[in-house]
Amino acid sequence: MITFIIRRLITAIFLLLVVSVITFAIFFLIPRLAGQNANELAAQYVGRNPTPAAIQQMVERLGLDQPLPVQYWHFLKGLVAGENYSAGPSVTYCPPPCFGYSFRSQLAVWPQMVSALPVTVSLALGAAILWLLGGVSIGVLSALRRGSIFDRFSMGVALAGVSLPIFFTGLISLELFSYKWPLFPNVEYVNIAVNPLLWARNLVLPWVTLAFLYAALYARLTRAGMLETMNEDYIRTARAKGLRERSVVVKHGLRAALTPILTIFGMDLGLLLGGAILTESTFSLPGLGQFTVLAIQNQDFPEIMGVVMLAAFFIVIANMLVDILYAAIDPRVRIS
Amino acid sequence: MAALALAACGGGATSTTGAAGPTGGSTGGSTGATGGNAVANAGVTGIANPSDHKGGTLTFASSSTPDSLDGGNEYYAWTLNFNRLYQTPLLTYKSSPGGAGTTMVPGIATALGQVSPDGLTWTYHIKKGLKYEDGSAVTAGDVKYAVERTYDRGVLANGPSYFPQLLADPTYKGPYKDPNGDLTSIVVPDPYTIQFHLLAPFPDFDYVVGAFGQTAPVPKAKDTGAKYELHPMSTGPYMFQSYQVNKQAVLVKNPNWTQNEDTEARQNVDKVILTLNVNADDIDNRLISGDLDVDSAGSGVQAAARAKVLGNPSLLKNSDNGFGNREWFIYLDSKVAPLTNVACRQAIEYAANKTDLQTAYGGPVAGGDIASTLLLPGMGGYSAFDLYNAKSQPGGDVANAKKALTTCGKANGFTTGLAYRSDRPKEVAGAQALQQALKAVGINVQLHGYPAGNYYGNFAGAPTFMHKNNIGIAFGGWAPDWPDGYGMLWALTSGNSIVPTGNANIGELNDPAVNKLFKDVASPKLTLDQRSAMYGQVDKLSMQQAVILPEVYAKVLIYRPPTVTNAYIDNAWGMYNYAVLGKSS
Repeated sequence: MITFIIRRLITAIFLLLVVSVITFAIFFLIPRLAGQNANELAAQYVGRNPTPAAIQQMVERLGLDQPLPVQYWHFLKGLVAGENYSAGPSVTYCPPPCFGYSFRSQLAVWPQMVSALPVTVSLALGAAILWLLGGVSIGVLSALRRGSIFDRFSMGVALAGVSLPIFFTGLISLELFSYKWPLFPNVEYVNIAVNPLLWARNLVLPWVTLAFLYAALYARLTRAGMLETMNEDYIRTARAKGLRERSVVVKHGLRAALTPILTIFGMDLGLLLGGAILTESTFSLPGLGQFTVLAIQNQDFPEIMGVVMLAAFFIVIANMLVDILYAAIDPRVRIS
Repeated sequence: MAALALAACGGGATSTTGAAGPTGGSTGGSTGATGGNAVANAGVTGIANPSDHKGGTLTFASSSTPDSLDGGNEYYAWTLNFNRLYQTPLLTYKSSPGGAGTTMVPGIATALGQVSPDGLTWTYHIKKGLKYEDGSAVTAGDVKYAVERTYDRGVLANGPSYFPQLLADPTYKGPYKDPNGDLTSIVVPDPYTIQFHLLAPFPDFDYVVGAFGQTAPVPKAKDTGAKYELHPMSTGPYMFQSYQVNKQAVLVKNPNWTQNEDTEARQNVDKVILTLNVNADDIDNRLISGDLDVDSAGSGVQAAARAKVLGNPSLLKNSDNGFGNREWFIYLDSKVAPLTNVACRQAIEYAANKTDLQTAYGGPVAGGDIASTLLLPGMGGYSAFDLYNAKSQPGGDVANAKKALTTCGKANGFTTGLAYRSDRPKEVAGAQALQQALKAVGINVQLHGYPAGNYYGNFAGAPTFMHKNNIGIAFGGWAPDWPDGYGMLWALTSGNSIVPTGNANIGELNDPAVNKLFKDVASPKLTLDQRSAMYGQVDKLSMQQAVILPEVYAKVLIYRPPTVTNAYIDNAWGMYNYAVLGKSS
């Protein structure tokens, strides 16, 4: 197990390096290949009607006059060893992982991401609990009551959940439950440490909106998996041995059907931790998703590099954890 | 990455750079109100809900991030407006509805600048006894330092560049790069006097020191460079309690501010909260439900809320439809063939369907009034000329367009490119409308959409890009840095304003007569009326050269909850004056 983890971590580091190279190439190399020079790149960060001298100052500030490999080297060095940086009267040290400083605000990128992370984690974990409980339960019940009114209704709702875009369901939920019937007015993120009740209340609509989509997917997946599993011989054997139906369904049926769900859950949660862009934008939650949108709108390359690397990290870690859990859930799988 | 790409679509953040607006009061007239016995525009014709009530919390929300909350690093109109709550420059706009609101009055200075006979030295005296939020004294040296720090454009990149252009030592690098250096063109002979020595006369210098936050004093010991915006030292009625970047700023009363020292701001509420990056439609809905007081961008409600407000008399009576302090227009690049021929440009001026363009921008209420000049109504020098029948034939003057095409040797039309900001729905609609209108006279337009973020830096504002890609037409707009001809016209029409990137003179007008007028208008011997008349000439000459096709004098439909007091659309900002707002409960 330890060897497995170490091997996966080494692979993860290599993978993150590849992601950094690709992202750097997309946002730093391609504009150059398209003919943009350093002055044109820098001009967008200097405000309205910049003088040539102001643009040149920004070129030097952002290091855009340096060769691309040197720029990439500074980025890597900051990640691993930190970097000294001057954004005013004194020089400050940016400890690792230093993702550099925003091209727009000259403020360090990593603290901004750390500040946004709890919002995204709150959203993702809360929604994940809801969609897992809701989606899996409905899937199991639908499978057990295959063809019933409940089955048809729940799969119909699941189809709606999968089909309706998040920004649509989000806006509808805001219109109904925040403006028209203000059960959840002023949906704003409140830190859990400041007011746990308000934190939860203000996240109910985003949780439900996000969970609606995923619960629908998971319900359908669980139903399909359960239908397949419940027809297996060992299920018939378990029933024949007199085990309680609950034990048959949960311990034997569901457990076997969970493995593909677990795989997808790892991917989904990893992706969400990198930023639930649409949900955060719809509900104005200042998480990593909103940070990503702003970074792209502002063409703020250090911020874009930061969120991409962080999102990739979460996905890699989530997948590693899923693989470990795989073995725990399904004894047929061995980590080797 | 697909999610990132998807998320990058739409949004269309509207940057509201520039500071000033029409000098005339935007009175009555164009309420655009529909329905019932609604009384709209109380905040256009006067002050809506005037009140001396003290207390409460005033909540602002913005759909984007500010360029900065550091007065020395701002250019957006709304951030400059909001800045008056906690920083006071040497001069400031008078807090008054109507034309008076565009005049400069003392801020921390005792009076407007005293200018030497040769126009090269401007002297200001600081009020004695002024204090920062921590009780320390404000001195003229702090004002000098505030200006010095703005010279480092690598750290404070967003503000205007007037000081390096006007003062006598433009190569000064700023106190961060050159801690032992000195901006010798600013002299502080005593703690309460500051003198600016200019390279050449510049009659609008009072606007330079007052229309922006760059002369709001900064104590050197408290300066943290790029981080200063997290807690600027307050000289205004409020001070920072907290600021989480991209999230929220909370301001509380500044105990060391007194009304006597600052006549243009008020301390009406106990707390001010600014929440950032709130969905624009959510902002509108919260305004309507009363859960939010002000949309800080001041650019008006979105389309969905507009329909609600205009269709509901009880909402309409709390709305104001005033001039938004800017003009939307279309550049015609005089260096891209065949637009190198003025007659070809004039053909476009005639052929464009101004009504469709107005509709693209939101119609007469949310878009604005059809424009025919560069100067905004109410500005000194403005006259309502209409060279291309924009108002008499708003659907387009096809006959004159075809005549102009014949004159420029393109009787059968021609082909050219058109640039617009693809993440701005109004420009998308406008581009399509213009394409259709020009097609009717044989002008084929190839549309090129570019992201707004680097539209001026890399595309429309880069002359070589325009030439290389044969793009003769580009959408744009302008909000003047201050409310006179210089603020509105110089960057758009002066030959000296053309730069290789970030160019606003996209028409690339380099007319000797216009350039001479800009040079002559700087004479310290001229009166305000004489200068205004010269700017009027610049306007006419530029329009004769047809480098800009005016679309609309922009208007905004702003909704305010009935609990917001002292609201009026300030002609300096084209939005409510944030320094005087209050709450009734």
